[in-house]
Amino acid sequence: MRAIVIEDDQDINQQIVSRLKQEGFAVDSADNGVDGLYLMQEFPCDVAIVDLGLPEMSGMDVIKKIRADGSDLPILILTARGRWQDKVEGLDAGADDYLVKPFHQEELMARIRVLIRRAAGWSDSTLQCGPVVLDPSTQRVTLSEQEIELTAYEYKVIEYLMVHAGEVVSKSVLTEHLYDDEGDRDSNVIEVFIRRLRQKLDPDDSLQPIETLRGRGYRFTLEPAKVN
Amino acid sequence: MKSIKSRMMLTSLVVLVGFMILTVIALERAVEKRMLQAEEDKLQALMYSVLAAVDRDATGLSITVSDTRLFEGALFNPDSGLYAVLYDVKEEIWRSLSYEGEFDKPDDLVPEELRFSQLEFENRSWFQLAFSIRWPNVHDKLSLYELVLWKNADDYFAQFERFRQTLWLWLVITIAFLLVLMWLVMLWGLRPLRLIGEEVQAIENHQKQRFDSNYPTEIKPLTQNLNLLLQREQHQMQRYRNALDDLAHSLKTPLAVLRGLTEKTGEWSEDDTHTLHEQNNRMNQIVSYQLQKAATVGGESMAKPIKLTDLLDKTVKALRKVYKSKGLSIELKSDLTASLRMDESDLMEILGNLIDNACKYGKLNVRINAFQQQDKMVLRIEDDGAGLKPEQLNNILTRGIRLDQTQEGQGIGLAVVNDIVDAYDISMKFAISDLGGLKVILEFKNI
Repeated sequence: MRAIVIEDDQDINQQIVSRLKQEGFAVDSADNGVDGLYLMQEFPCDVAIVDLGLPEMSGMDVIKKIRADGSDLPILILTARGRWQDKVEGLDAGADDYLVKPFHQEELMARIRVLIRRAAGWSDSTLQCGPVVLDPSTQRVTLSEQEIELTAYEYKVIEYLMVHAGEVVSKSVLTEHLYDDEGDRDSNVIEVFIRRLRQKLDPDDSLQPIETLRGRGYRFTLEPAKVN
Repeated sequence: MKSIKSRMMLTSLVVLVGFMILTVIALERAVEKRMLQAEEDKLQALMYSVLAAVDRDATGLSITVSDTRLFEGALFNPDSGLYAVLYDVKEEIWRSLSYEGEFDKPDDLVPEELRFSQLEFENRSWFQLAFSIRWPNVHDKLSLYELVLWKNADDYFAQFERFRQTLWLWLVITIAFLLVLMWLVMLWGLRPLRLIGEEVQAIENHQKQRFDSNYPTEIKPLTQNLNLLLQREQHQMQRYRNALDDLAHSLKTPLAVLRGLTEKTGEWSEDDTHTLHEQNNRMNQIVSYQLQKAATVGGESMAKPIKLTDLLDKTVKALRKVYKSKGLSIELKSDLTASLRMDESDLMEILGNLIDNACKYGKLNVRINAFQQQDKMVLRIEDDGAGLKPEQLNNILTRGIRLDQTQEGQGIGLAVVNDIVDAYDISMKFAISDLGGLKVILEFKNI
């Protein structure tokens, strides 16, 4: 999962970024509205955390602009101004949720996960596709209630594939949502992760949970248990 | 007498009517005097022409008037109303042919006196001009005679009466005309005041920011100063809000940093973490509460009328988004059309806090009802949460307000709502909803 943090206070920005990385996110960050908007427009991501009081371009304007561009990226606003008028206007401008400063990092993470799941059509707090269940809050994956040991990157790959279950996910999209920096990217590594995941999720080759579409990417084939 | 217009009209009426009546009376007197003088002059001229016809009689001892030398035709026509009589000391010695009645001889006429008087005789008014003359007889002895002219005054009075009627008629017409004119002048003169009233209303309704009509020089200083005052007030309000926002930002960001630090696992003991969280929370709540309280505008006078329904729609739409994943159904029913005069941000604060609470504590359903009841608007917000026990309903507010005693997790929302509700004199009650949770009932007064 890839997140963008736009927050002008260096300390808070740093805290959110490190917490997100700890949770397995690839993170881009900006300390002003103009740079933040550029990141949102140019790089694919799964969620954005936007402070309302930003220099150069206000958070409200950033949200209006990105919505006017037709993006439906889940956005959570952070605001020091606790007044409801600001919250309602922020939500009205296109934000999906808000959090008033100061906030618990835990709550921020929980809200972000909800937004990502909601955007992909999931309504439950855990993702379930056939016998495979993924719990984002504990980052645990079980197969028929047996926990599967995964490395951090393996987890990132299966989380992304399961959130977008049924959709074709290209290798480059997967790479972009997994890595922080350009330098780390190597699409061959993705193939390695996919092969290892197949071995762990489907040791006897009966489920075939991840399908390879030649030249297009991968698809998580198990039927997701989404409510809507 | 509350209106300037009626005060001025009444004063003008009294002054105008008084002045006109005195003028007319003076005029009447002057004209009467002038007309009487004219009558006297006419009789005097006649007197001289009759005197010119006086001559010795046949005996030479007395005098008479020679009819052949009289030229005034009326003296020959019986009952013409113009008569001449000549007396000697004792009796009448000549009368004009027109004279048939019996007038009294005037008394106490001093020799050579010419006396003009107005008399009543046989129920008719007469002018009398009497002249006492000395005339020599043949022996050059002077004897005393009296020549008396009578002229009927009926015509004169009729004419004077006609004059008076015309005069009073014109007086009434003039007063009426002047009053209408004054009314128009007053309308014109007071128009700027009416305009000020209209502009104040427009400013109250936020259709205008300032007085911008072209006012007369007497009123301009007033509107200019009011404009300055308005401008200053608007700026002040904006500056104040900005300052509060800045303050909120600069206080809360460090609090957020501190909280982030305390959440770093492994750096603090569990007890320390708990204490740090608690203190951080308290600081945050005190800061939030005092800032919210300071930002409450309150009062109703200059606020723009806003529709409760519009803000309800907006708030519910926003909160539906936030609580989407909770699977909550927020039912909103509003048939309000009336507006209320409140600062939009204050009203939003009430609605946001109360509906957010309902969404937070509600399990599946939140019900919002807004309707008109006689002269007030009623808003009910209910949820199906755990609710409160009846005895808890009473201290629900005091608990929120006494921040020093609040426990972690208790919001300041209700305390803020309570302050705003107080500032606007809105009634807020709590009850148990038939959904099972809390029911908040707000009653707003119509504008």
